[in-house]
Amino acid sequence: MTAALIAEGLVAGYGAAEQILKGASVAVQPGEIVTIIGPNGAGKSTLLKAVAGLLKIAEGRVAVAGRDVTAQDAIGRARAGLAFVPQEANVFARLSVAENLSISGFLDPKGSATELEKIYARYPMLAGKRRALARSLSGGQRQILAMAMGLMQQPTMMLLDEPTAGLSPRAAEELFAAVIDLNRAGLPVLMVEQHAVEALRISHRGYVLVAGRNSVEGAGPALAEDPDIRRLFLGG
Amino acid sequence: MEALLQAVVNGLLAGSLIAVPAVGFTAIFAILRYPSFAIAGYVSVGAFAGWAANTMLGFGAPLAVLVAFAAGAAAGLLCELGALRRLMPAGALTVAIASIAVNLILENILRFFFGNDLRGFDLPIQPDLIIGGIFVGLQQIWNLVLAVAVVAAVFAFLMFTRFGRAMRAVADNPDLARLKGIDPARIAAIAVALGAGLAGAGGVLLGLDTSIDPMTGYRVLLSVFAAAVLGGLGSIPGAVAGALALGIAEELALLVVPATYRTGVGFVAILLILTFRPRGLLGERAA
Ligand SMILES: Nc1ncnc2c1ncn2[C@@H]1O[C@H](COP(=O)(O)OP(=O)(O)OP(=O)(O)O)[C@@H](O)[C@H]1O
Ligand SMILES: [Mg+2]
Repeated sequence: MTAALIAEGLVAGYGAAEQILKGASVAVQPGEIVTIIGPNGAGKSTLLKAVAGLLKIAEGRVAVAGRDVTAQDAIGRARAGLAFVPQEANVFARLSVAENLSISGFLDPKGSATELEKIYARYPMLAGKRRALARSLSGGQRQILAMAMGLMQQPTMMLLDEPTAGLSPRAAEELFAAVIDLNRAGLPVLMVEQHAVEALRISHRGYVLVAGRNSVEGAGPALAEDPDIRRLFLGG
Repeated sequence: MEALLQAVVNGLLAGSLIAVPAVGFTAIFAILRYPSFAIAGYVSVGAFAGWAANTMLGFGAPLAVLVAFAAGAAAGLLCELGALRRLMPAGALTVAIASIAVNLILENILRFFFGNDLRGFDLPIQPDLIIGGIFVGLQQIWNLVLAVAVVAAVFAFLMFTRFGRAMRAVADNPDLARLKGIDPARIAAIAVALGAGLAGAGGVLLGLDTSIDPMTGYRVLLSVFAAAVLGGLGSIPGAVAGALALGIAEELALLVVPATYRTGVGFVAILLILTFRPRGLLGERAA
């Protein structure tokens, strides 16, 4: 079976300074939810940016659905089927909800027009706020919009960076439910999360990233209950 | 009272002409993040192209505006791709200074071919209308209609077309736009073509009102810049509002100060707005 995503031995950083990623690897199999956890500054966001092509990688390779995309930039990787929802500034603040969605289907205007109907059916809240500016949405609504914008790309692989950051417990729960929902429909998901226990519980597998390198990996629920992990990263 | 009303009407008419290049200036700033003083050169190039189309080919004003748009856009793309873009890595200030040089080059190319003479468009003389004691030239009303049509077309492009929306997306959040598959270099080229084209169209509108020479663009540069700053750099509705406000302010100032101080109004407006409302009249975005 071809992996939905393989990132191997990534070395990357922000210019002159020391490399942030020092050989990190992740893989996502078809149908999986995979969560990356780790301390602040471990390089989790950097890893997703490197996978999405926003950051040049010095070493390593990235493959999407069996296709090597290491040489491609962010646009090429979007074409290859990757949708990345960043941690911050993940919507076009001064565009309306409807415009945010339609512009996210830029690469395939026809296909994404069909997708739009499905998205409005799946998230009636967005349908009700079509004309609202994205910046007027609540935190939870904005994250749903950002994820829906990812769906407009008709991706084969979804990357989410801290989708529940700053959300109320209830909104976070709803967002996790939405992630499970998408995954059941067949979309593989790789996410970074601070709400580690909740995220690992809904994940097939999890990775712990420390100082730019893989530390522990294992089945999601097992990691969520692992006393060492809980003590080290989850404050539990 | 009538003098006041007359000044407001004159200001709106003059402001509507400035609005066209001001929208162009702010569109380039919104995407490329540098103030393009070359816009003055694009105004003059458009003015001469429209003038040539009018006096040599017999085109009417609306067609001359279209020709000017095309000429301005072509000049803009040539200067951007040929010179300015290469300086981008050196920073916005370097590109801004280079754009002043581009303006001088364009101005002198025009001077080489056309000389310094004032040239007028070949149009039927239109009567002045007197409405409720206010004088308005019929030609000025036509110019206003043309300016409104041009600005409306820009809004329609930005709101309803795929690339217009993509332009707004890049202005809002370039990284996210890239993630959605939008190529920033392509959008930058579209923004320059649009901005320089609008400057060119503005050149004809200004020329229809008076006359043209190679300095036509340079003479309105300060007003264009002030209008864009007034509206909040990068905001297109802001540039329109800024141009109208500036036009009215200039005409009102003429009621109390001699005409030589007219351009001073632009400087004062920039000072006041940067001091008290750095995000512009409509407060859309930080400069
Ligand atoms: N744009 C940037 N330029 C320079 N350094 C950066 C940049 N973004 C992040 N860094 C640095 O890279 C390191 C890893 O940051 P990263 O955002 O990947 O961490 P993270 O694991 O996502 O942390 P968090 O849990 O806080 O989101 C940090 O030391 C950070 O300061
Ligand atoms: Mg992060």
